[in-house]
Amino acid sequence: MNCDDYKQAIGADPRFDGGAGHLSDCQSCQEYRREMQALDLQIGRALALDVPELVMPSLDGVDTGNVVALEPRRRIAMKTWYSVAATVVLAVFIGFRFGVDHGQQFDSLAEEVLAHTTHEPAALQVTDKKVSDDKLRQVVPANIAAMDHSAGLITFAETCPIGGHDVPHLVIQGEHGPITIMLLPHEKISEAISLNDENSHGVILPVGDGSIAIIGSREEKLEEVQKQLLQSVTWET
Amino acid sequence: MQSNTADVSRRKRFDQIVAVYHQDMYRYAAWLCRDKAIAEDVVQESMLRAWKSLEALRDDAAAKPWLLTIVRRENARYFERKRLETVDIDNLTASQAALLAEAPDDDLRDMRAAIYELEDDYREPLVLQVMMGYSTNEIAEQMELKQGAVLTRLHRARAKLRDVMQQQASE
Repeated sequence: MNCDDYKQAIGADPRFDGGAGHLSDCQSCQEYRREMQALDLQIGRALALDVPELVMPSLDGVDTGNVVALEPRRRIAMKTWYSVAATVVLAVFIGFRFGVDHGQQFDSLAEEVLAHTTHEPAALQVTDKKVSDDKLRQVVPANIAAMDHSAGLITFAETCPIGGHDVPHLVIQGEHGPITIMLLPHEKISEAISLNDENSHGVILPVGDGSIAIIGSREEKLEEVQKQLLQSVTWET
Repeated sequence: MQSNTADVSRRKRFDQIVAVYHQDMYRYAAWLCRDKAIAEDVVQESMLRAWKSLEALRDDAAAKPWLLTIVRRENARYFERKRLETVDIDNLTASQAALLAEAPDDDLRDMRAAIYELEDDYREPLVLQVMMGYSTNEIAEQMELKQGAVLTRLHRARAKLRDVMQQQASE
């Protein structure tokens, strides 16, 4: 492999790990590789657009028995506006429910969850030291949920007050830093709520009669964690 | 009664899949069409389409590529009916500009603008690789291209972005 071949490969995929023999002897390609990897981090950040809150289309009455013909495309219909209105009603409802915690006033579950994420800086350390199984069982007792380490390396587990209830606050180590998880068995929501602030993003997912909040850095891809959590958490309340 | 239980179960499955992949669907749509309002519309249509054909998804582990393929087709249908003019980045509509306006710093805004200006053929494989984590094989399959063509497009896309960012840095 020569420099042209290597640069072509690394330019097409900065994760390319071939050509080690050439790379070890070529300073120019080492520099190009570093440059492409740094560029990819920038590209990743730029692609991570803010995502509007999920608004489910009205699915009632949609024919699921015949999917052969494509419907003509239509503008967002009145049904969708009803969904938007329902979301607003839900937000107002949640707004009434959420009050004061640690002297701070919160208008919504999303706001309280995001604020709590940074409430305990010790939770957000990058570390490879996992919490013990005993500690995990203590924070996530069997009468709340069945939870194991399959979702990732759990490095923090404490019980914290959210929405007037003591809930499990966990942190697992993601590819771009700590990922906060809050198990909210008492917070039933009708649809997912997107979480976004300057440095982080996430979602509160409806899970049975409760929900789960997942928040990571803006670069973090949370889908795998979401999938793992949906499989590893089973409410027992 | 049995039918009702099946309906609830179907709806629950759909809600979980959409909750997990909604962000990917929106971002993919947004970078395909480069317009916030159209992206939201495409995602709505894609969700309806996915709901109708949920039984076609045999394994939920394959939900992401399945949904992104639906988004890609819905986006194509939109533009089949409404061929938009070439985008001039200095003269964007409010909905197009909204995608760029959200960047919290200059570097991010410059990079976002540079990606915005990439040709569709270069921008899409980059989004699939960097944002969606697709391999070049998977991109080739999704875009119905040879893998060699994907590699070339990705290399050229990065070369263009690198040039633009170096030019911005020197100004």
